[in-house]
Amino acid sequence: MPAVAQWTSAPGAVVTTPHVRAELVAHAPQGVSPGAPVWLGLKIEHQPEWHTYWKNAGDSGLPTELNWTLPAGVSAGEIAWPVPRKIPVGTLANYGYEGTVLLPVPLEVPSTFQPPLAIGSGTPALDVRLKASWLVCRKECIPEEGEFSLALPLSGSTALHKAEFDAARAATPQALAKPGAVEVSGHQLQVRVEGLPASAHGKTLEFFPETPEVVRTAAVAGKDWTQRWQDGVWTATVPLAEQRSASPSTLPLVVALAEGDRQPGQPVAWRAEAPVSGTWPAAAPRAEVSPALQAALAANAADAARPGAAAATDASEPPPQPTATFVAALFGALLGGLLLNLMPCVFPILAIKVLGFARQAGDRSAHRTAGLAYTAGVMLSFLALGGAMLGLRAAGAQLGWGFQLQSPAVVAALAALFTLIGLNLAGMFEFVRAVPSSVCSAQAKHPVANDFLSGVLAVVIASPCTAPFMGASLGFAIGLPAAQALLLFAALGLGLALPYLVAGFVPAVAHLLPKPGPWMGTLRRLLAFPMFATVAWLVWVLGQQSGIDGAGTLLALLVCLAAIVWAFTLRGRTRLVIASVLIAFTAVLTAAIGRNVLQTVEPAKLAATHEQRWQPWSAERAGALLAAGQPVFIDFTAAWCVTCQYNKKTTLADAAVLADFDDRKVAMLRADWTRRDPAITAALNALGRSGVPLYVLQAPGKPPVILTEILGKDEVRAALAAL
Amino acid sequence: MSSLPSSDSRSVRAARQARAALSRASRRAVVAAAVALGATFLMGNNAFAAPAVGQQAPDFVAVDTTGTKHKLSDFAGKFVVLEWTNPGCPFVRKHYHSGNMPATQKAATDKGVVWLAVNSTERAASDYLQPAALDAWMKSQKAAPTAVLMDEDGVIGQAYGARTTPHIFIIDPKGTLVYAGGIDSIASARPDDIKTATNYVNQALGEAFGGKPISAASTRPYGCSVKYKS
Repeated sequence: MPAVAQWTSAPGAVVTTPHVRAELVAHAPQGVSPGAPVWLGLKIEHQPEWHTYWKNAGDSGLPTELNWTLPAGVSAGEIAWPVPRKIPVGTLANYGYEGTVLLPVPLEVPSTFQPPLAIGSGTPALDVRLKASWLVCRKECIPEEGEFSLALPLSGSTALHKAEFDAARAATPQALAKPGAVEVSGHQLQVRVEGLPASAHGKTLEFFPETPEVVRTAAVAGKDWTQRWQDGVWTATVPLAEQRSASPSTLPLVVALAEGDRQPGQPVAWRAEAPVSGTWPAAAPRAEVSPALQAALAANAADAARPGAAAATDASEPPPQPTATFVAALFGALLGGLLLNLMPCVFPILAIKVLGFARQAGDRSAHRTAGLAYTAGVMLSFLALGGAMLGLRAAGAQLGWGFQLQSPAVVAALAALFTLIGLNLAGMFEFVRAVPSSVCSAQAKHPVANDFLSGVLAVVIASPCTAPFMGASLGFAIGLPAAQALLLFAALGLGLALPYLVAGFVPAVAHLLPKPGPWMGTLRRLLAFPMFATVAWLVWVLGQQSGIDGAGTLLALLVCLAAIVWAFTLRGRTRLVIASVLIAFTAVLTAAIGRNVLQTVEPAKLAATHEQRWQPWSAERAGALLAAGQPVFIDFTAAWCVTCQYNKKTTLADAAVLADFDDRKVAMLRADWTRRDPAITAALNALGRSGVPLYVLQAPGKPPVILTEILGKDEVRAALAAL
Repeated sequence: MSSLPSSDSRSVRAARQARAALSRASRRAVVAAAVALGATFLMGNNAFAAPAVGQQAPDFVAVDTTGTKHKLSDFAGKFVVLEWTNPGCPFVRKHYHSGNMPATQKAATDKGVVWLAVNSTERAASDYLQPAALDAWMKSQKAAPTAVLMDEDGVIGQAYGARTTPHIFIIDPKGTLVYAGGIDSIASARPDDIKTATNYVNQALGEAFGGKPISAASTRPYGCSVKYKS
């Protein structure tokens, strides 16, 4: 833009703020003509303690900016930055200037330069305008700017500020003949500067990289970074910034004498543009998020966005079972419901009812309605039971009880429950009916209502026999989220109602039913053994959590429990005496060694024999391995997770699969969630899951591959081959 | 027990004095100390090396301006943005007065991202704000962070190597640091530059949610120095 029109209210050469006095100065000893040295400069005088910044400001701050407006053809060069000083700010550091500094700028005057005729003044002059912005800081920072103008006479000498320009030139680093070298090794730079004058040899130098965001600015000399002289070559080891955002191929750098070593008339600093060799440490590759994980995360986010939604880590809502396990459980519940029909207190009633269908081979639709109403009655009763259980559980969670198998107390309570169930099935004692028999003969007027009621009553009447099964399903369901738990109860009810329902539709089914007889008692006693097997498994789970002492203590207490239950089946005074003695003994035993059950043993102390190949998982460990370029396989597992154990003993123990792991040099990490571990919970949540098993295979820089819960050998090998 | 060795009685006296001192100390100081201790413990040996992009972000516990405690690991499964702030800093004011920072916060939290503003300004600093004052300032700016954390002791700031206000860190749902650097690409105190600058935070979150790698994961943070307790 032509400077001619700029004479209205021209700014002056000085701007004063509360923190600096800034002045536009010039140095043209031979006037302004092509080829003659012409220098402009911004002189900044700082208030005590305040500073402005060098071209690399360091950890914070901004370098001073100069924007020139000059006549056509005339151009300003770069700032010839004088050597800065390192200004520590707590744990950070800046490079800048305190006191007085002059930032000189060379002016290029072309040979074609035609000075515009300055209006109203006799002497032709070159009009200079400058808009400068600088950040001035003490601890607090003030961005300031100023507009300056100066008319530089074309003829005659401008040398009023010669001393300042000379001082600035003396403080400007001298270019070295040799570029030196910078080598990246690990997280450090090996700097090599050659060709320094003999007067500097052996002196301790200061080091200033011109490129920001490469080295750790606040590194302390002699502690974090070191230097040495060898045969006139200065070398230094400088730490890189942890969060480096620049990886230049050439590093312009300045070395300077310490202020005490600087001699007037001698150069004080040198500059080299060192080529960088070696490879900059790559940031650990960012693992991308797979679409499936993305969806899970989006679901998590949506859950979280819903007000009042329980977080996945909330103790009141146990993690859902993996689908495969849950489908198996539903099927088991249906079978269990069917089995209930064969119990001595259910089967005779059922047989009579179903045979009734077969005899009155008249009203088909009425039979169907009756079957459906009965089914509805049974299932609703079961759902009510399940609802009551969930209500209790929610109340417990309010009290801070967790119902996960990660809690030894819950495992021990379940073991006690299943022991009672097993003893009951084996015939050691009987449960009393939940409702007196007079209520059971109640009838409703409406036939459909009557059938519905009979469904409800079937559940009540059968309670002495169904109690063990109900207990078992309660035991399983208490560790499930509400929806899954209720489904489980619905399946159980459907199983109980199924023969009646089928008979309502196909009366011929009645003839398939076996006759009631002594086999029912045999079956019932046989069913005690699965219950005791469950106890055995729970004792093993507790052993994983509390160690051998805990498991042993639990077994001892279960024996006491069985003895107490037996004592209650006795009569008269014998019952009173024996039961009292046993209860007292149990109480003493519990007080003495009961806490063994609830203790949690560190994994290291457990007698678990882990093969050498598995390392314990931690997020840091996994991250470090990935950063080092090694793929990782993570097995999120728990002792109480049956699917996990199955996979561990089959696929993950298969020689061919393990050989494939070794071929690909996959690091194998095991995250054991048997005990509650927030880090593992968080990792599961981060992968969009809230339960085990979970198998993750991740290659550096790729999204994690999540394998299926029931791990197939071929699947693992295919995933490994795709690495 | 009359012949207690003198060292024992001394230690008993010392214990009694310590108890008295503790009860004299204000509750807030105790909580802050506990949080700082907890934070130090959580950060383990990592207290001196700030994480690089791609590394695990150090966990921390902090109290926000309303007195609520927050723990980073509680947000596992979500993206978390940490924004170092200090209303006394002109660069922070540039991004708040212009509406740029509140808009960036809102865009992030609308996506389900947790946005934690962190103030590591020491109590002795001239522009230190009490929690209530900081909260009021944030409200006056129509800021939309999830919470504003007080870090007067600088524990969190030092753990992350926060240098400037503003300085932004993004942590992915797996707890990995995926972005460290500035709010945008033009280092200046001029609000006019916001229009032409690339907002690195919007860009990084957009890429992350699009399943793409973050193109600018380490950038230059610019602003005032964090006024750490020395």
